[in-house]
Amino acid sequence: MKINVVKKVLQANDIVARKNREAFKAAGILALNFISSPGSGKTTLLEKTIPALLPERKSIVLVGDLQTTRDAERLAPRALQATQINTGMSCHLYANQIAESLECLSLTAGDFLFIENVGNMVCPGEFDLGENLKVILLSIPEGDDKVAKYPTIFRAADLVLLTKCDLMQALKFDVNLVKDDIAKLNANVKLLPISSQSGEGMEEWLGWLQEKRVEAIGKQSKFFTE
Amino acid sequence: MHEMSIAESLMDQIIDIAETNHMESVAEVELETGHLRQVIPEVMREAFLAVTQGTIADGAKLIINEVEPLAACRQCRREFTPQIDDFLCPQCRQADVDILKGDEIILKSVVGN
Repeated sequence: MKINVVKKVLQANDIVARKNREAFKAAGILALNFISSPGSGKTTLLEKTIPALLPERKSIVLVGDLQTTRDAERLAPRALQATQINTGMSCHLYANQIAESLECLSLTAGDFLFIENVGNMVCPGEFDLGENLKVILLSIPEGDDKVAKYPTIFRAADLVLLTKCDLMQALKFDVNLVKDDIAKLNANVKLLPISSQSGEGMEEWLGWLQEKRVEAIGKQSKFFTE
Repeated sequence: MHEMSIAESLMDQIIDIAETNHMESVAEVELETGHLRQVIPEVMREAFLAVTQGTIADGAKLIINEVEPLAACRQCRREFTPQIDDFLCPQCRQADVDILKGDEIILKSVVGN
C-alpha cells in the first residue's frame, strides 16, 4: 500500500511556532531569537542590553543550552524573568520548548522576550520558534569568512551583530568582506558592529530594538522618544 | 547535523501515517529535500537508519529527491537559480528575492503493509 501525503516534515514545529507567535502578539511583546556560535557573546550582550532598556522596558529571557543553568543565573538579576531550557543532546531549541516555557512566564508584563538559542550556526536556523525577528551574532575572533561558510543562517537574519568589534583592528578583520558576503545573500539584512566591552554600537542596537518593537507592537515608547 | 532533527520529525509523521492506515510495517519512504535546506543524503540516510531502528520502519528504504532552487527577484520579477551563497539577481545585481522552490523538506509518500 502506497500512501501519498505531501507533508512538510517540520510541520509539527511550524504549527507550535505559529501559536507562539500569536501568544507574543496578544501579549504585546517583541520576541527575538539570538543565534550564533558558542562564545560569540550572546549572554554578555544581554547582560548589557537588559539594564539599558530599564526602567521603561522590561525583558524576559529564555536561554537554551545543552547543560547548566549558568546563563539564566547570570541574567536573572537583570531580567523580569529568566528561564533556562536544557536541551540535553539537542543542538537547537524547538518551538514546543518555548511553548512549554511560556506557561510559567508572565508575557504581558514584559516588553521584550530575548530567546538565546543553543550556540550553533546550522540547526537553529531550521526551527522557527515563533519569534518576530532573528538576530545573528558573529564575533570578530571567529573570522571574516564565516558568512560565506554558513550562508543559510545569515540569509535568514534580520540583523547581524558583529560582536567584540573592539578587536577588529587587532585581529585584522575585514568588515567589507562580511558586508559583501551578506549583500549576496539578502539585501535587507542590517549589519551592526557592537562591543559589550567598549559600548560601541550599543546606542544603535538599543534604538533598533525600540524601533522594531514600535513596528511590531505599535506602541510608542518613552525610551525611544527621549 | 540538522539531519538528525529532521529524521526525528520525519519518524513522528511516518508513525502517524502508518497508524492511520493500519500498516504493520513500512517498506519505503519518499522524501523531497529542497537544495537550500542543505540536507546531505548520506547523512540523512544515517540519521534515518538510527531513528527507525526497532520501529515499524526498521529496514525501510529511504528515497531522497533533491529539488533545485528557484528564486524570483522582488525588483524585476526575473526568475533564476540561486546558489547557496549567492542570491543576486542576474539583472538587478541585488539579493532581494522570493524563494519559489527548493526551500522545503517534504514527505511525499509512505509504502507499507
